[in-house]
Amino acid sequence: MRRTVAIGFVGTVLDYVGKGSQRWEKWRPTVSLCQQDDLIVHRVELLHDPRSRGLFERLKLDIAAISPETEVRGVEINLRDPWDFEEVYAALHDFAHGYRFDTEAEDYLIHITTGTHVAQICWFLLAEARYLPAKLVQTSPPRKKEAGEVVGSYAVIDLDLSRYDHIATRFARERDATVSFLKSGIATRNASFNRMIEQIERVAVRSKAPMLLCGPTGAGKSLLARRVYEMKKTRHQLAGRFVEVNCATLRGDSAMSALFGHVKGAFTGAQSERAGLLRSADGGLLFLDEIGELGLDEQAMLLKAIEEKRFFPFGGDREVESDFQLIAGTVRDLRQWVAEGRFREDLYARINLWTYTLPGLAERAEDIEPNLDFELDRYAREHGEQVRFNAEAKRAYLKFATGPDARWSGNFRELSASVTRMATLSDTGRITEAVVVEELARLRGAWGGPSANPLADLLGERLATLDLFDRLQLESVAEVCRRSASLSDAGRRLFGASRLQKAKINDADRLRKYLARFDLEWQQLSAK
Amino acid sequence: MQSKQNAAPWLELDGAQGEGGGQVLRSALTLSMITGTPFRIEHIRAKRSKPGLLRQHLTAVQAAAAICGAQVSGAEAGSQRLSFAPGPIRGGNYRFAIGTAGSCTLVLQTVLPALWFADVPSTLSVSGGTHNRAAPPADFLIRAWQPLLARMGVEQTLQLQRHGFYPAGGGEVSASVAPCASLQPIELLSRGALGGIRAEALVAGVPGSVARRELERVRAQIAEVDGQIRELPSREGPGNAVLIEVAHAGVTEVFTAFGERGLPAERVADQVATEARQYLQSDAAVGEHLADQLLLPLALAGGGAFTCTTASSHLHTNTAVIEKFLPVEIEVAQQGAVVRVSLTRA
Repeated sequence: MRRTVAIGFVGTVLDYVGKGSQRWEKWRPTVSLCQQDDLIVHRVELLHDPRSRGLFERLKLDIAAISPETEVRGVEINLRDPWDFEEVYAALHDFAHGYRFDTEAEDYLIHITTGTHVAQICWFLLAEARYLPAKLVQTSPPRKKEAGEVVGSYAVIDLDLSRYDHIATRFARERDATVSFLKSGIATRNASFNRMIEQIERVAVRSKAPMLLCGPTGAGKSLLARRVYEMKKTRHQLAGRFVEVNCATLRGDSAMSALFGHVKGAFTGAQSERAGLLRSADGGLLFLDEIGELGLDEQAMLLKAIEEKRFFPFGGDREVESDFQLIAGTVRDLRQWVAEGRFREDLYARINLWTYTLPGLAERAEDIEPNLDFELDRYAREHGEQVRFNAEAKRAYLKFATGPDARWSGNFRELSASVTRMATLSDTGRITEAVVVEELARLRGAWGGPSANPLADLLGERLATLDLFDRLQLESVAEVCRRSASLSDAGRRLFGASRLQKAKINDADRLRKYLARFDLEWQQLSAK
Repeated sequence: MQSKQNAAPWLELDGAQGEGGGQVLRSALTLSMITGTPFRIEHIRAKRSKPGLLRQHLTAVQAAAAICGAQVSGAEAGSQRLSFAPGPIRGGNYRFAIGTAGSCTLVLQTVLPALWFADVPSTLSVSGGTHNRAAPPADFLIRAWQPLLARMGVEQTLQLQRHGFYPAGGGEVSASVAPCASLQPIELLSRGALGGIRAEALVAGVPGSVARRELERVRAQIAEVDGQIRELPSREGPGNAVLIEVAHAGVTEVFTAFGERGLPAERVADQVATEARQYLQSDAAVGEHLADQLLLPLALAGGGAFTCTTASSHLHTNTAVIEKFLPVEIEVAQQGAVVRVSLTRA
């Protein structure tokens, strides 16, 4: 059977009610705890200082009388000032650290009714941080002055909030609301996307660590970053501003200056001091989109700024401080870029803690419909005009939008533009089939029509004879070739893992043979 | 014998039925030990604000288990189910310290009947509360219950070594028991001629004036009472009780009320005097509480009868439990102003 162990202070005020037999007519928290008719305390550890030794001994005898099952142990600690937070916390932390908890066989209760309020706070903090594997217990004097009743009651407080039904429901509701907020209120149906957002919610609430959002342009990275910021601001976890910058727009000296600020006279034209984006984001959230486009020097500076929360402004010799939460966005495969030496490995390691890949719209076909409704609402809000689809028109639009021909290369931004166009062209607030047919033609045109597949130009008619398996592989290989400087370069990347096992490097040859299977040559594939 | 006992079918009891609570459990423990019938009880105190076993129930379970080497499961505070498989009753010397979680007398009441049928003589000492509310005080067991048992053939001596009042406890009751083969049924239909009425006011760590006021008040209501103050050492306190012993030729009754902080001495006296007067005005042989305590020994004797002032809910609950364990039929019938309880072999 599990044993129950209570830990608490000798109550120099509440437990002290005199020495005579009348003490039994007064409520004494420590005695009361051992006197509850539905709680057996098998051991009590009573903390006290040397001055309270007498009181401790009396409590020990009295507990032995009323509860023979209870073993009473004294723990002497010296507290110069039991109201001094630092001292009490340190003392109790030492106690917790040195105590041999046997959680396999014993349940622990921290009795918080005795001791100073400061001690109460320290007990709470230590239990909450799990330094003490214990629940809190509070004793209360008898409620009404019922004749002869001195025992009073007790209540166990488990700080594991998920154990309380009402609190758990409240949390669940709040989390649902937050998740919905992060999704801009769009009732998305894609299961993996929803799971990802739920995790982002949990991480954002609990952690200040950097986040990395990957995914194609228009997938909603920037919107999500802003939503995370707004959520944390509502919860008072951030007080500062939301600062967003697309690193692709930063070049040269002005990049350094824009990010880290500069001092007066740092360079020609630097006539006044500039704070820079990092400092503007102090206490807030900095969203660095396209972080892969950042130059290597800026990357080094950024790493220092993230790790030390301090950095040198351009041209300055005095460090400035800024504490911000970082969210980075990228369309690049940063791991690849690190391998190629275009992105600092240490910075990548620092921001690659919570990495999420936002899928493009085409991969979330089931979410197109709710997004469509959302975009129509947004249009109504912005233009003061409610526009609706005709039923047939909506069916036609969705059929195409969720079909295999819809590439949605511009993702949500493109869907938004498409809805705006249809809404603008609709008469009397109805989007008709004619408007939809026109819009679909526009989209097809933008995506290069049905022959948008890059292999079509290379293979022509033969494309139709390829299995999907081969086609997908060849597409990716062709893409790598296009981005590579030479056949050897492409081979090195494509056989990056297996080439290390080879006695003789022959990846150029392997690639050439692979291409030959499709009657293709390097010249056809290379960028030039 | 052990294997035969294990073969006995389990009795299933519902702790939510009738008065439920501790009485069902204690009676079941006693009867289980004596008959060797294992039992399971579920829904213990199911509808109470603190459901399940309380510490005072556990003390009885542990004492019973110690005396017959029972296999017990579910004996934990708050548990709503308990199973108890008794072994043979073992006479010997026992000490139980129960603190003030419960009462020494309730533990005695549970285990003493088992020791009547043990293989060898026993001594038993229980320390803790001897004078608690909601339990018969040790004086009642000694002066009212024990003489009737003696007439049935029980060889048992109870002694109050030290008073222990709630909440401090610290009292002790000791018992010595010689085994007997069987009990003789008795019939207690009338109480006989009045022998005397004695009132006793106990004070421990409480001013003597409280006891004087209590006795005065009792005298004002029961003329022929003979009053006595007993001042106990204050370390046995604080505590105060008023006992009224009503002796008739056929039976002695003891009524008790406890003084409590905030309760005027006169009210304490009124409580016990009212109870005694009601008994005196009735023709019944025993009062409500003695009736409860008598039922089980009579059932063990296999017969007998008595009249009592009222049939409490405890009595009805006890009846149901006893009839499950023992081949007896218990009839409870209103007869004019008294209740007649008769037991016959089924």
